[in-house]
Amino acid sequence: MTKMVRFLAAATLLTLAAGCSSSTKSTGTTSGSDVSTQPTQPADSATPTAGATINVPADVATIQGAVDKAKPGDLILIQPGVYKEAVTVETENLTIRGIDRNTTILDGSFELNNGIKVVGANGVAIENLTARNYTKNGFFWTGVTGYRGSYLTAFRNGDYGIYAFLSYKGQLEHSYGAGSPDAGFYIGGCYPCDTLINDVTSEYNGLGYSGTNSGGNLFIVNSIFRFNRAGVVPNSGSYELCYPERATTVVGNVVYSNNQPDTPAIDVALLAMGNGILVAGGVNNSIERNLVFDHDKTGIGLVPFLEQDPNDVEPSQDTWDRACADTKNDPAPDPSTVPAAVLWSPFNNRVIGNVLENNRVADIAVDTVDVDLSTLGNCFSGNTFKTSAPLELEKLGPCDAAGNGGDWTAGSLNVISWLAEVHPPSQDYKTSSPEPPSQTNMPDAATAPARPATDVPEKVDVAAITVPVKPAL
Amino acid sequence: MISVVRGGRLTIAVLLSLSVFACTRAGNDASTTDSNSIAELNRPMAAAPDNPVAGPQGRVPQFLVECPFSHALFDDPIVFPNVSRAAHLHVFFGNNGTNAASTYESLLAGTTNCDQPADTAAYWVPALMQGETMITPIKSVAYYRPGEGVDPTAVQPYPPGLKIIAGDAGAEQPQNTGVVAFTCGTAIRRDALPPTCPERRPLRMLVTFPDCWDGVNVDSDDHSSHMAYGSGGACPATHPVPVAQLQFSVDYGFSGDPAGLSLASGSLLTGHADFFNGWVQDKLVAEIRTCLHRKVVCAITSGGT
Repeated sequence: MTKMVRFLAAATLLTLAAGCSSSTKSTGTTSGSDVSTQPTQPADSATPTAGATINVPADVATIQGAVDKAKPGDLILIQPGVYKEAVTVETENLTIRGIDRNTTILDGSFELNNGIKVVGANGVAIENLTARNYTKNGFFWTGVTGYRGSYLTAFRNGDYGIYAFLSYKGQLEHSYGAGSPDAGFYIGGCYPCDTLINDVTSEYNGLGYSGTNSGGNLFIVNSIFRFNRAGVVPNSGSYELCYPERATTVVGNVVYSNNQPDTPAIDVALLAMGNGILVAGGVNNSIERNLVFDHDKTGIGLVPFLEQDPNDVEPSQDTWDRACADTKNDPAPDPSTVPAAVLWSPFNNRVIGNVLENNRVADIAVDTVDVDLSTLGNCFSGNTFKTSAPLELEKLGPCDAAGNGGDWTAGSLNVISWLAEVHPPSQDYKTSSPEPPSQTNMPDAATAPARPATDVPEKVDVAAITVPVKPAL
Repeated sequence: MISVVRGGRLTIAVLLSLSVFACTRAGNDASTTDSNSIAELNRPMAAAPDNPVAGPQGRVPQFLVECPFSHALFDDPIVFPNVSRAAHLHVFFGNNGTNAASTYESLLAGTTNCDQPADTAAYWVPALMQGETMITPIKSVAYYRPGEGVDPTAVQPYPPGLKIIAGDAGAEQPQNTGVVAFTCGTAIRRDALPPTCPERRPLRMLVTFPDCWDGVNVDSDDHSSHMAYGSGGACPATHPVPVAQLQFSVDYGFSGDPAGLSLASGSLLTGHADFFNGWVQDKLVAEIRTCLHRKVVCAITSGGT
């Protein structure tokens, strides 16, 4: 959250709950006797140019040195080893790849801030690497259009594992994030994001996934969120741009046992503790065909986010389809017109066809503060569940059908009471998370050609995704 | 925990009383500036920024450095160079060895406790005192941004060894909150005196440094006249070089009623901060270029940790 979830210190309540550059075209000139280069094609089409391969450490001793030497389209191929670097990437369309995901390791020694930070450089793909022990993030893209992270492992980092902010057209896949006090995976400040998270595992974090003010063609599918304080937490707030969070599609994930008491955790993660999928003040989200079980509170909960000292009030519904690129130019509101607190209620979320079990306050739930829940437009249909808050939730608010007009206050979630709860305190991220198990390597890492992130996100047939089978525990 | 409960209920009450449920974008068209008029022309140097860049993170390009508390000394290498124990009690962040004898060279040769290993600059503020006892601060965040309205691509790096002081250590009246302000945690509201802060959002002091340099001197006799605040997105002719606007935030680690607190420099009105540029200059230049010139948010602050 962005760190809101990084930021969030501001929000005490339910917070419940987190391209622009035009780099020069490669011209085909060689770039030094220690780098094997080959002429590149004129960049006269959308087809990525074939680049050189720079080997680390054979050609250049450090990853940063290789990045600085590389031209758009190049492949940086990194041999196994521990690299104590914080790499900044400003060159477009690079592919940065480890030979072996489990032994090609960026290590921040708890002193460096980001393992690899891509700043304003479009099309950078990072593959088959581990980043650990950074004070901020393992892998971080900001201000880019086009990014991909594949077969990445991020653990024991002080903020996020894998993190994209103010970035578009992304794909995070086959990756693992663990042991961060905020989220293992985070997408923040984009609409429409045009981004896919597919086949990732996130565990032992404060939050498995957090997305502040993101959404729009944003898909989180076929992934595992477990053993975090809370599982999947899209959230809204005016402490960052592009509010509210909206139109995130969460389908086909296994979300379980997010009650973990001994993880590092920001305040929001503590407040959100014990929930599987928790929409905190988000709107127009689709949560379908997930398997969600074993939570102390809700399996799928739609709750408010109370933001204290906000920068703005919640925008009206007729503006929710405005792109960030548009709203970014709105003048800042006059602080004197902004109240001391703003309540972000969950609106128009669709919860359909999920399978829930053993979520001990409620399998499915919706709540807010002093607003008639029947007016929020959230709906629930076709879920397999035993308990709901309020009671009879699928009859009160079915999708694409009229509700039964029943009592939305009976069996309330009483989300306000969460504020008063005491949770096990955050643990030090440097020491609290277990060493991750060995992770699957990218196929043919040593020989596959460069593949800059100019072709993402790939299309996923979301409708074909079915409820996952329960994993062997 | 009881205080949290109370805080929560109080908040709800505030919320209801303000009728925040009407979803409008109030005020979005209300902030045009018409203040850059004749009054400005008569002043070569604005005494405070028009409007310190704040608000939602992501609005302006920035990079930032977080540094935990390093040490406390009665030293001040800008105001009392080479004279130890000549100053009020300061709390230092960043460079681990800052003392009265610090020079640009000694800072560069030293180490830092910041999350940017290349930021060996020195940052310091007066200690927050409760009676005779220093309250140990938690951490600082240094935000580097273009000043309000300044073209990010025009921002120049600080010269090596630049010394800047912001705020008035001798103030007897409330200072402009655009220069020195107190908040609770990341709250946006700026107060000239510390408010009562809840435990979850402890007291923070925010000091905004001048963002225009005279282009010649890294220090001056009064330690301030080589710098000025820009206005209307431009620097005055006397200080023509736009540099990053440093906003320095200190989490003092105090919650609750501020009665009985003081700053080591005097009353709670005397907030100020000092910056001595000891960055590895190449890295500072790279950060300016990478983040500000390319208009990218290179980092945002996190909560909790």
